[in-house]
Amino acid sequence: MAVVSTARVRTIGSAEHFARRRNFDKFMTGALWAAAIAVLVLLAFFIGYILYLGAPHVSWHFLTSPPSEVDVGGGIGPEIFNSFYILILTLLFTTPIAVAGGIYLQEYARGGLFTNVVQFCAESLSTIPSIVMGLFGLLIFVTTLHWKFTAIGGALTLTILNLPALMRVTQEALASVPNAFREGSMALGATKWQTITRVVLPSAIAPLTTGVVLIAGRIFGETAALIFTAGTSVSAGNSAYDFSLFHQAETLSVHLWYVHSEGLVPDAAQVGNGSALVLLAMVLIFNISARVLGGALSKRLTGK
Amino acid sequence: MIIDMQAPPDVSVPPKPVQAKLSVQSLDVYYGNFQAIKSASLEVPENHVTALIGPSGCGKSTFIRALNRMHDLTPNVRVDGQVTLDGEDIYDPNIDPVNIRHRIGMVFQRPNPFPKSIFENVVYGPKIHGVRGRKQLMEIAERSLRHAALWDEVKDRLDRSALDLSGGQQQRLCIARVLAVEPEVILMDEPASALDPIATSKIEDLIGELKKDYTVVIVTHSMQQAARISDFTAFFLMGELVEVGETRDIFFKPKDKRTEDYITGRYG
Repeated sequence: MAVVSTARVRTIGSAEHFARRRNFDKFMTGALWAAAIAVLVLLAFFIGYILYLGAPHVSWHFLTSPPSEVDVGGGIGPEIFNSFYILILTLLFTTPIAVAGGIYLQEYARGGLFTNVVQFCAESLSTIPSIVMGLFGLLIFVTTLHWKFTAIGGALTLTILNLPALMRVTQEALASVPNAFREGSMALGATKWQTITRVVLPSAIAPLTTGVVLIAGRIFGETAALIFTAGTSVSAGNSAYDFSLFHQAETLSVHLWYVHSEGLVPDAAQVGNGSALVLLAMVLIFNISARVLGGALSKRLTGK
Repeated sequence: MIIDMQAPPDVSVPPKPVQAKLSVQSLDVYYGNFQAIKSASLEVPENHVTALIGPSGCGKSTFIRALNRMHDLTPNVRVDGQVTLDGEDIYDPNIDPVNIRHRIGMVFQRPNPFPKSIFENVVYGPKIHGVRGRKQLMEIAERSLRHAALWDEVKDRLDRSALDLSGGQQQRLCIARVLAVEPEVILMDEPASALDPIATSKIEDLIGELKKDYTVVIVTHSMQQAARISDFTAFFLMGELVEVGETRDIFFKPKDKRTEDYITGRYG
C-alpha cells in the first residue's frame, strides 16, 4: 500500500506576503509611536519655553498688584480675578441651558423638523468666529443696552459662543449611556424624568465633566470675544476683587494681548511672559481640580 | 434531541382550571411597515411559568416587550390588539404605562445593573416609588436579595459596585431589583442566555421559586430550559403564535406539524 502524505498544500497566503504585511505592521506601529512622541516633545518644549521666559517675572507682587498703565512693575491681580469671575459667570449661564438642550435632543426629541432645525442652528452657531461674536456682543450689550464694557456682557457673549459646543458635549455624553440602563429603569416603573436624573445623568457625569473642562479652557483663553465686550482695563478703582457685574473686566488673556499690542509700559514683554505662564498654570490647575471633582462625583454617584 | 422530563401523566385527569393573569387578544406589532407579530392570542395563568419558545427572529422577544409596554420607548413601533392585566386593558389611553411597568416587571437578556452600588441597585425601585428611610430600604434590600438567592454572596459588600459582580450574580441582582418593587408579573427575556451553565441552573431554580408568589413569562431559545421550568409553553414561528398549551402537551403531543418539526429539531 502506498504511503499518502497528509500534509496539505497551502493555497492562501505566501511566505513573501506574510513577511510584507508583518513589516508593514511594524512600520505603522513605529510611525504611530513617533507621532505620539512628537506631540509630547512639542508640548514639553512649549511649556518649557514659557516657563523659562515667564518664571523670572512671576512674584507675589506680580500676582496680586493691579496693572500699571505707564510705569514699570504692574501686576495682574485683578486680571486673574476677572478670568475666574467671567469663567464662573459663563459656566453658570451656559451649563443649565446647554445641558437642558442636550437632554432634550438626546432623550426627548424623536427626529422631525424642529429637532433638525435646532441641530442645524447649533452647528451653524458653533462655526461663527469668536471675533464676530465679540462684535455682536458689542452691538447688543455695550451699545444697544448701554451697559458699556462689563463683566456680564463678556460672560453673556461667551455663553452664546460656547452654548452649542456644550450642548453637543452633553448630547454625546448622554448617547454614551447604554440604552439598557434606560430600559432597566423604565421597566421598574420609573418615569422618564426619574430615569434621566437618577440613572442617565449620573452615568454620564465623567464625559460631561470632561466637556465642561474643555469649554472652561476655551473660556480662559478667549480673547477676541472679550476685547469688545468686557473691555481692556480693570475697574476704575483698580481694586482686585470687584464682584460688580457691571464693571470693566479685563481677563488675563485679554491683558496678555493688550500689553503686547497696545500697552505703554516699558516692561510689556516681561508682563506678557509672566501672564502667559500664569494663564497656563491656571488652566492646568482648573483642569486637574475639575477632573478630581468629577472623578469623586462619579464615584459617589455610581458606587465604589 | 433528548428532553429531560417525566412521561406524560394519565390524560384522563382533567387539569385544574387556573386564573388568567394576563390575557392577550389578537396582538399585532409592527416595526415601521414590517409586521413582527401577527394576531397572537395568549392567556397567561396566574402563579405559573409560561415559556415562549421559537427560532431566532420569530418574534418572541417582540411579543414579551408588548406585555409591559416597553415598545412605547422605541420610535416607529406600533402595537394593535388587546392586552389585559386582571381584565384591565393596559393599552387603554387612560392607563399610565409607568404604572403598568410597576405591576409588570422585566428582566432582560443581558444583565443590566445600574452603575451604582449593589444596595442602590436593589432600592432604586422602592426609592422612585417614594419609599424613604434607611431602615425600611435596608429591609427591602435584604428581603429581595434573599428571595433572589443572592444575599449570602453579597451581604458583606452591599456598598460595592454592582458592576464588580459576575454575570450570573448581576442577573440575580436584576431579579432582586424587580422583586423589590413588588410586581405581580415578571417578564424575563432570555434571562440566562448570556450566562454559563452553573449560573443558568441557579436562575432556573430561582424561577421555580418565584412562581409561588408571581406570574412568570419567560422567553427562551432553549427547549430544554422551557421543558425544565415552565408549566405552559407557547411556540412562535415567523411572527405567528403557532401553538400554546401545557408544556408536556407541547413537547409530547404537539397538535401542529410545525411545532412537532421544531421540537424534534427539524429547524431552529
